[in-house]
Amino acid sequence: MEIDRRAFIASLGGTAAVAMMDSEAKADSLEHYMEEQLDEQVAANQAKEKFPTVAEIEAQIETRNYRRGVGSLFVSGRGNVKKLTPMPKNATLKDFFELRFAPANHVLQSATRAMKTGMSEEVILACLLHDCVLNLIKPDHGWWGAQLFEPYIPEKSAFAIRYHQTLRFYPDADAGYEYPDQYFRIFGEDYKPPAHIEATYKMLKNHKWYMEPRLVTVNDLYAFDPNAKVSLDPFMDIVGRHFKQPKEGLGNDNSPSAHMWRTLANPDQPL
Amino acid sequence: MRIAATALFTVCVVAIAIAQTKPTNYKGLEITPLGIERAKVVSLLDCPPGQNSVHGNARGEEEFAVVKLGFKVTPAFKETVVKKPVLTDTAGKTYQTSVSIIDPGSKPAYECGFPFRVPLGTKVASVAIDTATIDIKALDK
Repeated sequence: MEIDRRAFIASLGGTAAVAMMDSEAKADSLEHYMEEQLDEQVAANQAKEKFPTVAEIEAQIETRNYRRGVGSLFVSGRGNVKKLTPMPKNATLKDFFELRFAPANHVLQSATRAMKTGMSEEVILACLLHDCVLNLIKPDHGWWGAQLFEPYIPEKSAFAIRYHQTLRFYPDADAGYEYPDQYFRIFGEDYKPPAHIEATYKMLKNHKWYMEPRLVTVNDLYAFDPNAKVSLDPFMDIVGRHFKQPKEGLGNDNSPSAHMWRTLANPDQPL
Repeated sequence: MRIAATALFTVCVVAIAIAQTKPTNYKGLEITPLGIERAKVVSLLDCPPGQNSVHGNARGEEEFAVVKLGFKVTPAFKETVVKKPVLTDTAGKTYQTSVSIIDPGSKPAYECGFPFRVPLGTKVASVAIDTATIDIKALDK
């Protein structure tokens, strides 16, 4: 704790008063002063932000010309959308990261944090991919995201992507996961998850793979360094080991999610 | 005036030093407990501190016991994964934190606050990082 010397001396009655105190009294006064400062800091931290209610968020729907669930590739927050660079013929995951998911800071930071805290490769991969589908669609993004990647990644990683969406609503102190206050802002402070999410949570609590999606939530949103420069490069080995890149290119391999990759590649197609 | 200020500075340094306990060495990291704060809302910054928009919000009968630790990186430290601290209360119950230690060798010295969600009024005993256990009873006033 930093001490403002002038404020401290003033609180004791000025330099003349301090000069009359013995060392023990000065030490006691300093300790008391520090305690008071600490109390003030804690009180300042406790000033809670006012979050919107579910009703207030619903009232905003008709103030927009788009739905909140639209994928980021399909709408521009500022001005018109821009023409996209065409995807190469045999597009890889790296191509999609560079040309459709960029800047992808959130997932790259999440995966970097997972890597630096010693998570398994399946969890690191899940962290790297867990929100990429938000470029396509936002509601139920856990399920959509798992479907997009499922043909190409380990079962545990797909499980983690699918169910991180559910576990985000449920704090788990033992795993070190706090309910994010960002959720109070985007869902409303009185939001209750729908029945299918509650049922999924009940299923997950007893599942042997509970920790896979839980560890994605643990690494979700936390930023370890505001100036961190993140890139896909540190993950290329993990991608090489665990992502089954189709030789025809993503979108051309007739997998169950090939159409989703084609939509990401060509979001300007009218039909 | 200058003498009084110098004496006061000395008193400050001594008092702060008394409030701290001896550092514990863990794989070349010198870890010193600096204090414990109690709060209902805490900012969840990783360690060394980064920037984060996530806060922990304690519910009615809970609070956060925020254990502040000082880290000094000695030449003996080799970059490695350092586990999250675990808090133990005086009854032996353990608590986890959501704050991780990331790149512990990236700065020569730094201070971090580790929030633990505990029942109101919980008296804490120690904090452990892997095999290093640090007694913090004396700091819990």
